[in-house]
Amino acid sequence: MTTKVLICDDSKMARKQMARALPAGWPVDVHFAKDGQEAIDLIKVQSFEVLFLDLTMPVLDGYATLEVIRQEDLPIMVLVVSGDIQPEAQERVKKLGAIDFIKKPVDAEQIKQVLIEYGILRDQAHE
Amino acid sequence: MSDLIQLSEDERDCYQEITNVAMGQAADRLARLLGVYVVLPIPNVNLIEINEFKMTLKSLEGNSTVSAVCQGFIGAGIAGEALLIFNDASFAEIAKLLDYPGNLDQHEELEMLMDVANVLNGACIQGIGEQLDIDFSQSHPVILGQHCSIADLLEPNQSRWQRTMAIEINYTIEDHNINCDLLLLFTEDSVVHMNRLISFLMDD
Repeated sequence: MTTKVLICDDSKMARKQMARALPAGWPVDVHFAKDGQEAIDLIKVQSFEVLFLDLTMPVLDGYATLEVIRQEDLPIMVLVVSGDIQPEAQERVKKLGAIDFIKKPVDAEQIKQVLIEYGILRDQAHE
Repeated sequence: MSDLIQLSEDERDCYQEITNVAMGQAADRLARLLGVYVVLPIPNVNLIEINEFKMTLKSLEGNSTVSAVCQGFIGAGIAGEALLIFNDASFAEIAKLLDYPGNLDQHEELEMLMDVANVLNGACIQGIGEQLDIDFSQSHPVILGQHCSIADLLEPNQSRWQRTMAIEINYTIEDHNINCDLLLLFTEDSVVHMNRLISFLMDD
């Protein structure tokens, strides 16, 4: 079954890097948003399973986006992807409901592990 | 005069993203040193003329006096300067966080300025280098001025260059009155070279 994935980052390069780092052979339908507001607007009209969310963005940043998702109880799993590696940043996003934190520059292997850990991606070895 | 260097939208985006990652690493180091949370901005990447540069600096300055440190870096045909500018009002706050007792004398301020510059400049330059696969050598930090106006900083260095790529990062620290600007300035030749390097990151 195809997983619907939304990648939200203000940088075009970061969006491409993120999309490229998704596990090979994972059937996904990838959509993109340039800031948190775009992401929220998309999430409201169609359902996504996973959101890869940057923190530092114009219009609506990652923290504010997480707040909206929580307040409006939007059904989506959020993985924060950021260069802000301060421990405080990681704690804050988890408190706001992100399931995990992935540091930039993104590493394909780490992303795969995180997706398996949360049962989003089934480990092909076990199938 | 050489042909004017250019930046496409994609190249600017790429530098911004590279800076974003590098400044995150630098902020993490500073956060650990001071025990604070550093608020990360969206970095500005621009090609600027010397006159515009002066205006940029003026706008950073506001009404207060500043202290500034610069540190050169070089590697793989790329050279530049990291310029860290501190609002003087920030000193007392940093001193508190670093447990300096009482009022600071000029020597202690200098020491603090150097410590923070080493952390911020060093981590940021290294972070950019890692992503471009360049091992930058860094010179020792040099104090450009203490408690002076921006105009004083610029006066002796006016005529050395015309146009540069400037990356500007404004760090603020949450819940503390600390504000500093890190400017990374690259020579024109370096930009030509770096544009080639980042094309590998942007492709495929």
